[in-house]
Amino acid sequence: MLKSLLLLGLLTAQPPARLDDKQIDHLLAVIKPGEGEDPFATIPWQTNLWEARKLAAKQGKPILLWEMDGHPLGCG
Amino acid sequence: MAGRAFAFADPRIIHLAKNSFIPVTADDWYQRRRQDDEGTFFRSVAEQGPRKGVGGATRQGIYTLTADGTLLEFKNAGQNADATLDQLTRALKKWNSLPASRRQPGAVTVREHGKLDANYTRTPPKNGLIVKVFGRILDRKDQEFCRGTCEFAGGMKASRDFLWITATEADAMLPPKLEVGTEYPLPPAIARRLARFHLLDNTRGEPRFWKRADVRDLDLKLTVAAVTPEHLTLRLSGVASLENLREHRGYDARLGGTIRYDRIAKVFDRFDVACVGDHWGDDSFTDSGARPGKTPLGVAFTLADATVPGNRVSPQAARDLDIYMGQRDQ
Repeated sequence: MLKSLLLLGLLTAQPPARLDDKQIDHLLAVIKPGEGEDPFATIPWQTNLWEARKLAAKQGKPILLWEMDGHPLGCG
Repeated sequence: MAGRAFAFADPRIIHLAKNSFIPVTADDWYQRRRQDDEGTFFRSVAEQGPRKGVGGATRQGIYTLTADGTLLEFKNAGQNADATLDQLTRALKKWNSLPASRRQPGAVTVREHGKLDANYTRTPPKNGLIVKVFGRILDRKDQEFCRGTCEFAGGMKASRDFLWITATEADAMLPPKLEVGTEYPLPPAIARRLARFHLLDNTRGEPRFWKRADVRDLDLKLTVAAVTPEHLTLRLSGVASLENLREHRGYDARLGGTIRYDRIAKVFDRFDVACVGDHWGDDSFTDSGARPGKTPLGVAFTLADATVPGNRVSPQAARDLDIYMGQRDQ
């Protein structure tokens, strides 16, 4: 019984005592957004409304302002 | 955030945003409060629509407007791509019906911004580091961690935030001696900020940040891994244990990664740090679908290009800037 529990513990992924390079690379790849996962991030968002006004005036375009309580690009 | 998963994931809307508009994002918490030119301009636009901000109420939503301050269309329907597409289409129709004297490039002059409202303006620390932070729920598969699954809509996607490190704090990451194997603590100001404001489960919204008393253990070390004439490579390793007993919420995590300093340019050019461990609980802000029990959560840190406007967004915790930067404690 004790042997089985020990084996189960070994086979279950636990945070290791110290993360090695391979584990770190794997975790970074798993955690960060993958290619194509976040289409919204492909839009070249400005983050300053006043500068966006200047760009809009210069390029002759209207402004699309996405405003949320918590920044759309950095809030959870 | 629904807009990320629905409206701004729609290829038709992405195409319009890229080609027919100047796209800009903002945090309404700052915008509706700031007492300066930008705040005045924004509120004057919002008040042309339904978001009057009575009693300091939210003005969040999706606005289309002209550079000289006319609201074209407003909707708060980021969860509905078709409704947002309809909004943008109607906005463009209104835009195109304006006289050319208001639409053509250079027709409108935007003066320089006056004095910024320092209470509600956040700019990255001068010559400091901007580090992207991603969080994601994980599962255990065989002997490795993989992307996690949950029933909460969007809860499997990576969360986003930014970590700010001042130039002085970054310099303090340099070792006392250039000798491989030299071990020393990660500067306490960075360790504290990283743990309290960035080692959290914000995959379903923003939880409250850890308080000082919630930090049960925090032991993060740097070790000199390699020294060349061009680079100094540091290994970060250690543990963080965070728990709020009242909220029954905690995170036991291990961290590891590589931080590299370019000795010629005298800048940090790499900050790749991973964190993994068991997280448990929700808080009242995000009491909406945490997985039961202790489940794996990962957090990844990677250096951001400070010249990209989208990377200059302030950390969510920087609303209380003094606390975030360690100038006042809580």
